[in-house]
Amino acid sequence: MSRRPPDFDELVGDVEPGERARLEHVHGLLVTSDAPPELSARLSSPPAPAPSRVAVVRRSGRALALAAALAATTFAVGVLVGDRLTDPDTFEVVVLTGTGSATDASGTLEVFDLDEAGNWPMELSVRGLVPSSDDARYELWLTRGSELVALCGSFLAEPDGTTVVPMNAPWRLDDFDGWVVVEEASRASVLSG
Amino acid sequence: MERVERQGPTDGELIARVATGDRSAFEELYGRYVRAVLGLALRRLGDRGRAEDATQDAFVAIWRSARTYDPDRGSGAPWLYAIARNAITDGLRRLPEPVAELQDGPGNEPGPPEVAEREWAAWRVHRALEELPAHERPVIELAYWRGLSQSEIARSLELPLGTVKTRTRSALARLARALEGDGLR
Repeated sequence: MSRRPPDFDELVGDVEPGERARLEHVHGLLVTSDAPPELSARLSSPPAPAPSRVAVVRRSGRALALAAALAATTFAVGVLVGDRLTDPDTFEVVVLTGTGSATDASGTLEVFDLDEAGNWPMELSVRGLVPSSDDARYELWLTRGSELVALCGSFLAEPDGTTVVPMNAPWRLDDFDGWVVVEEASRASVLSG
Repeated sequence: MERVERQGPTDGELIARVATGDRSAFEELYGRYVRAVLGLALRRLGDRGRAEDATQDAFVAIWRSARTYDPDRGSGAPWLYAIARNAITDGLRRLPEPVAELQDGPGNEPGPPEVAEREWAAWRVHRALEELPAHERPVIELAYWRGLSQSEIARSLELPLGTVKTRTRSALARLARALEGDGLR
């Protein structure tokens, strides 16, 4: 839609050159921007974040101490570990980005609190993968130094390239430095984080 | 010139609080960014219903990903933009494939870099507008998106022309401060 941009000189009148340059920059941004959209009633308040999909685990003192120690470590690949003691449900969320032949793929890996047996329950959500045929599964691995080190499960992609699937890592996460999803047959990386 | 600034936490501080499950911080962040996210979604998806879906998806993604925000890598606005853009792109992937149209010659549509630059500029502008006090915002909206002159705005708002001019200059200065560098809180 074309619209008549306002006359800058009419808007600001006489101003000193430095201030004029600042205001003219803003004027240029406003002229090229769309009007901010009106909000419908539906967007008048934020969405209610989904409740946790795993039960809160009551821990023994030993498990709590172990989990607190593990919480002191972070993955080097853009993952920030929060204060898990204030949020007992989700330990961390890893954002996965498409790699190799799947640059349009994306995903998240939500790692829940350590259970009493020492497992890290997880939920992997992916989009944009090539749909799986019978023998074309994907695998989630923990990596160290770009090497596939610990398998955390395999899965099939839906016909639309998505899937949401539970996973598990019975490993010490601070022994690793990243996550990767690979094609089972070729071991080619499709997602990493 | 009015120099009263709104006080409050930075976007980055709010994201850090969201990471701990602070619902009130999430609501404040939502207030600051919902129009920017919806504006970006409308540009990319074109359809109001899908854009609203994508906006809600974006804020769910912000809630879920807040722990990945690293303040050492930049202020909150670019991080929020990246999360929102990814969520909206996911919404775009759910759309049916468009039917290709043949063009007789080179198109006049802007290329991807120009589109990305415009989207980022609009994002910043829409966010910065949230910094304006309620009495300044209408003069900007009427001037820039309704095409009214200062005199027409004065008549529309039933204000003296001098007041409209003062408010307009004050609003532009406030926007300049918000948009300079990492000036967004």
